[in-house]
Amino acid sequence: MNLTMKVALACTTAMIGTAAAAQSMTIGITQNNVGVDSYQTTYEQAFIAAAEANDDVEVVVLDAGGDVARQIAQMEDLIQQEVDAIIIWPTNGEAVIPAVRKASQADIPVIVTNSNIAEAGFDFVASFSGPDNITQGSRSAEIMCDKFTDMGIQDEARVVQISGQPGYTTAIERAQGFEERLPEVCPNVELVETQPGDWNREKSQQVMEAFLVKYDDIDGVYAGDDNMGVGALNAAKAAGRDGITFVGATNFAVGYEAMEAGDYWGSIYQSPVDDAEAALQTAIDTINGEDLPFLNYFDTPKITQDNMGDFTKPVF
Amino acid sequence: MTPDKRKDLLKMSAIWAFILVELAFFSIIGDRLSVSDKAFMDFENMLLLLKQSAPIGIIALGMTVIMINGNIDLSVGATFALAAIVLLESMTWPFMQTLGDWAIPLAWLFALLTGVAMGAINGLIVWKTGVDAFIVTLGAMLGFRGLVFMFNGEQPTSHLNWTLVDFAEAQFLGLHTATWFLLATALLLWLLMTKTVHGRNAYAIGNNREAAVNAGIRVGPHFLLNFMLIGFLAALSAVVFYSESGSVNPNDGMLYELWAITAVVLGGTKLAGGYGSIISTLGGVIAIQLLRKGLGHVGADTQTVNLVIGLILIAVLILDRQLNRKGQEELKI
Repeated sequence: MNLTMKVALACTTAMIGTAAAAQSMTIGITQNNVGVDSYQTTYEQAFIAAAEANDDVEVVVLDAGGDVARQIAQMEDLIQQEVDAIIIWPTNGEAVIPAVRKASQADIPVIVTNSNIAEAGFDFVASFSGPDNITQGSRSAEIMCDKFTDMGIQDEARVVQISGQPGYTTAIERAQGFEERLPEVCPNVELVETQPGDWNREKSQQVMEAFLVKYDDIDGVYAGDDNMGVGALNAAKAAGRDGITFVGATNFAVGYEAMEAGDYWGSIYQSPVDDAEAALQTAIDTINGEDLPFLNYFDTPKITQDNMGDFTKPVF
Repeated sequence: MTPDKRKDLLKMSAIWAFILVELAFFSIIGDRLSVSDKAFMDFENMLLLLKQSAPIGIIALGMTVIMINGNIDLSVGATFALAAIVLLESMTWPFMQTLGDWAIPLAWLFALLTGVAMGAINGLIVWKTGVDAFIVTLGAMLGFRGLVFMFNGEQPTSHLNWTLVDFAEAQFLGLHTATWFLLATALLLWLLMTKTVHGRNAYAIGNNREAAVNAGIRVGPHFLLNFMLIGFLAALSAVVFYSESGSVNPNDGMLYELWAITAVVLGGTKLAGGYGSIISTLGGVIAIQLLRKGLGHVGADTQTVNLVIGLILIAVLILDRQLNRKGQEELKI
């Protein structure tokens, strides 16, 4: 042990020459599975770009490849390297809790990014940085209400909802945000029925087909994301039903294209670039000792046919 | 020393030489590239290395026995996930919860029995039908994974028990719990393969199955035992790992069979069977984890790590082929 200490000391002394160049902080990140979808790929590129643009920050960028064991090993490695903060995109919201606890015991602040860990681990986490699903849902309600007002049907419109997979926090929160906000902005619009589309386009199309048979008058469809929204749109097109306003809670490329074609009204823009930059900034602020809310959301703006020119097409 | 012995020695020590090269590389180059102020060859880091080698390592050690037999087991990753689900789910059963912390050893037992049962299924089919182990375990890989998904759909199965986590994170004489399990498994399997009749039979069967049958070795039951052994070890690996993490995704353990086989082959065990060593496989496991850790240390991404390991694997096989050539093209040492 003594020898190791000496060796370690010698090595660190030798390294001071290079390390002292920047009065910097080191931030480690272990991501879920880069390359599995373009959201995560874009996130990583944006994260590295943001870190390179900041002279005070050095980053260790790791990717668990979807493997919990590898992610836990990476957490241990980052703790061992004594980084100043760790950002984690959990592969499994519960399996990483002990590893997060280890970091917090080593006095390294942990920032959870994109999707939160389970509540049992909240005590060991400095901050969560990610999108606010409830806000996304309530903004979708506003988009829909504004459209109905423009059309002059705000006092009679009937809406159906296609929600995400039951049991997922994301699905529950997006539905909740919409259901709470809609009566506030458009008290006379009626939400007639909600059915799960399981984040799946084909399933949503079937759900919408059933809705179309059941209800002669549907003015709006709210979907948990554009993938499901476009499924519903296809069903409406096939049935020859026009004049329905489609709104999603997260903009996907398919939704963006449908908006360009004029079939789909609007959605909420969730950018992986904003997500990555928010995570890095949250880590920097945490290291600097700034007071942050535990749930530190980044902004997810509204996107409709009217303002879609301001946004680039989503990569996912 | 005869050339044959010298070659054998070279083969056995190749993996350890490779590990030394890796250590030297990451210590010299790595510490210059890394943003961390800590040396790679830090004592704590090396302890972590052993601990992180355990999940795949325990499986790879068992895979060595199977491969010396001339068989292969592709279902270990799925068995790993299945045992993990049994481990975590059984602790939530009502009668188990009344037992308090005594539920832990019982949950371990259930998980290990699951592994043994899955291995027995493989072994029995191989024995009784004579179908190649590759095909049987390929089917088992898909089937067991199907069971995993049937159990809880796409959702993770979770049960966080801090007593269990504390046990798994403990360090005894400096070594982590997982490391102890890895080293104990290595020791026991080494004894099995070098000091017992069963071990000698394993080599004999792998070398020439027909000759082994003629020599009176009961090949079927032998296979059955070995498949039960690797089922047990896949479950043991799950027990050790999930004691510390407390939640299993339905796709956990995917590709573990391939990592385990990679480690075994890196250690010099022949795919055709009849030749191999437990200790060299331990070297293979450490070499892989060292690469993952070291490349992470210097800031390479996961794709690069996989690429490098793939290249090294092919290089090892070419080297192995050269060393085994006879006659004119024989490698002169």
